[in-house]
Amino acid sequence: MTRARVLVGVVALAVVAGVAGAQGSYPTRPITLVVPFPPGGVADLTARPVAAALEKVLKIPVGVVNKTGAAGAVGMQYVATSRPDGYTLLLALSSISIIPEADKIFGRPPAFTVEQFAPIALVSADPTVLVVRAESPWKTAREFIEDAQKRPGQMSYSSSGVYGTLHMAMALLEHGASVKLRHVPYAGAGPALTAILGGHVDALASGPAVVLPHLKAGKLRALAGWGDTRVAALPDVPTFKELGYPEAEFYIWAGVFAGKGTPEPILTRLRDAMRQVVNDPDFKGAMDKLETPIVFKQGDDFQRFFDADARRLAAGVRRVGRIETK
Amino acid sequence: MAETVHNLLLGFSVALSPPVLLYAFVGCVVGTIVGVLPGVGPLAGISLLLPATFGLDATKAIVMLAGIYYGAMYGGSTTSILMRIPGEAASVMTCIDGYAMARKGRAGAALAIAAVGSYVAGTVSVVALMFLAPPLASFALRFGPPEYFALLILGLLVLAYMSSGSMVKALAMATLGLLLGMIGIDQMTGYFRFAYGVVELGDGIGVVPVAVGLFGLSEILATAGQETPPAVIKPTLRELLPSRQEWKESIWPIGRGTVLGFLIGIIPGSAHIISSFVSYAVERRLSRRPEEFGHGAVAGVAGPESANNSATSGAFVPMLALGVPSGPIPAVMLAAMMVHGVSPGPLLIKQQPELFWGFIASMYVGNVVLLILNLPLVGVFVNLLRVPYPLLYPGILVFCILGVYAVNSSVVDVWIMLVMGLVGYLLRKLDFEPAPIVLGVILAPMIEMALRQSLAMSDGHYAIFLTRPIATTLLTVGVLLVLLSLKSLVTRGLDWRARIAMAEKGEEL
Repeated sequence: MTRARVLVGVVALAVVAGVAGAQGSYPTRPITLVVPFPPGGVADLTARPVAAALEKVLKIPVGVVNKTGAAGAVGMQYVATSRPDGYTLLLALSSISIIPEADKIFGRPPAFTVEQFAPIALVSADPTVLVVRAESPWKTAREFIEDAQKRPGQMSYSSSGVYGTLHMAMALLEHGASVKLRHVPYAGAGPALTAILGGHVDALASGPAVVLPHLKAGKLRALAGWGDTRVAALPDVPTFKELGYPEAEFYIWAGVFAGKGTPEPILTRLRDAMRQVVNDPDFKGAMDKLETPIVFKQGDDFQRFFDADARRLAAGVRRVGRIETK
Repeated sequence: MAETVHNLLLGFSVALSPPVLLYAFVGCVVGTIVGVLPGVGPLAGISLLLPATFGLDATKAIVMLAGIYYGAMYGGSTTSILMRIPGEAASVMTCIDGYAMARKGRAGAALAIAAVGSYVAGTVSVVALMFLAPPLASFALRFGPPEYFALLILGLLVLAYMSSGSMVKALAMATLGLLLGMIGIDQMTGYFRFAYGVVELGDGIGVVPVAVGLFGLSEILATAGQETPPAVIKPTLRELLPSRQEWKESIWPIGRGTVLGFLIGIIPGSAHIISSFVSYAVERRLSRRPEEFGHGAVAGVAGPESANNSATSGAFVPMLALGVPSGPIPAVMLAAMMVHGVSPGPLLIKQQPELFWGFIASMYVGNVVLLILNLPLVGVFVNLLRVPYPLLYPGILVFCILGVYAVNSSVVDVWIMLVMGLVGYLLRKLDFEPAPIVLGVILAPMIEMALRQSLAMSDGHYAIFLTRPIATTLLTVGVLLVLLSLKSLVTRGLDWRARIAMAEKGEEL
């Protein structure tokens, strides 16, 4: 008796779900948010609260899957080639615009292109800051740049890897300030930070959150930021724009994307949901703990930001060109 | 001193509070499982379980993650000894003599020595961590690319002591390993090398699939190929415990492994993986009967197992003292702290004494928990050997594939493992040893990166290796080692290696 009733219930539910699905009432099954980087990185730490809040809004499970490899190319390619039905989403960083450009430079078939994604929302955009060791001779960004102009190719910086975000930030500064620095790439932002703390390089462009404790402890000094405005946590640190180097503009940003070809109603639903996500108190609390300010952009606004950023980065990658080592 | 004791008491008050103790225990159990599962190493385990800690407070999260890390180091030896499957990269060396001991019916002894060695190493290195962290951390940071390069070159020289048979064969295998290590993105230029359009190969050939394939799969294939199935080992209770002689032979290797592992562990980067390789080589070099290595030498289990455990504590030194993400695992743990709003940095000890000292104290507790957990399990695990091969081996195969796949959710990794299993089978038939291949795969990307970073730092001048004291010292030691081995060649004519080779020839004839 009861079993029959349950069975009827299940069938009814299935029918309702099926009809609802046909009517386009997305979502009807769990959503996967692909993070193309390992757990514990910026992308992963942003994705977890996004997924949790999205789950609350859409009332359907949203799972984070770390699909890592080849500096993010594996995971991004995976989403680019998945079925564009709104059930496989991507949380990407600036590198989404860098990797296809780097592929072009090497003349290899691109793992994916920017055109394969439909932007849903920008979640955060943190400008990098230029840091040097506290005992180094440069007290201001101007001193640093003037010294670098005097000694081209002598001063060094570490980065998260060639064509990585931290490399691109420095490449844009090098071009904007007409200086030549020595690049020592490391495998990730962590080792790059370790390198400057150990005194093996002179400078580093870094996201503000990871260097804040070292700034507070007096081990490092921040000279300038790459943002349009100053970093909230570092009100005394000027921007390169203020200093007269407007080309040095760079953000480590995180955004949510779907595959190109996802039906418009689903994209609209996701964009609405993301608007609620960024206002969710738990989400705000999580981002606060990471000391990452929420920067929310959608629609044309996000597209403009994304395009401008992609243009800057593409120019940056082309200027760096193919790297020949000695 | 008094202050340290006071702080430690504070730490124990945190670590022994029931909720924290519970999470330390859970971490240790999960870590043991992660270690036992072939393929899933501590980094994969911590990464997979990181999200599960987001709901906890910072202290519990860190205590649990650390428990997974050193628990995995305990557990890693189990499958190496019983089935010749390295649970993670650091237990590759244990496969050699540990498995040989198991074939002789000494599996229980090998497991017990591995557990006790791990306990001693874990506990002693936490003491070292507590007292020496601040000064050692600053020293560790002085290891830049040139120093790292010099250290790795020393590690490469260690190869010479790893094989028991022909030196030419060992070097050939090492070369193969180094060549395999060249696959993947060129870290200095972004160029894809030998990837043939497979994006997954961009990250290179993983150590884990290679090790599991070469050791575990090849063993399974070789057993299946025998005309008569090997006798099932039925250990009796008395054989579970190490004999007095075996204890005696383990004491010094455990001590040396502990010191060596800790020192290698504090160096930022992934050098801690080589601690067990270096320890094995040192033990063989110091042994009075080096010919026993590879055929079930107790020291070949005791040394490396202790080394990989104390390297774990060593890796925490720069992380705790300076808040530096000194390696992949500390980086994940720092991220866990950031999620909880704790900013890891040089001020961590002052600002978060409960977290810091609670963590230290929980490592003492965790090591005791692991010993209590692992010693009785020896009896359970050894009984796995009673399972008939037709049932045991397919089961192992399934776990190998699952484990290797789980790390990156990558089918390419599974293929690498399967191919390496075939390669391992062929090499076995031709009497080549696989360990140098694994070391080559580990070392090649690290040596290349360190060398090219050094040259980027110096704008292409090799003099950088001679102007930095630590790097110069390490390289000098390397040169001396080479000269020493040449000397024995000249004066004694035949060393033990040649004697073994002769003996083996004699057997074949």
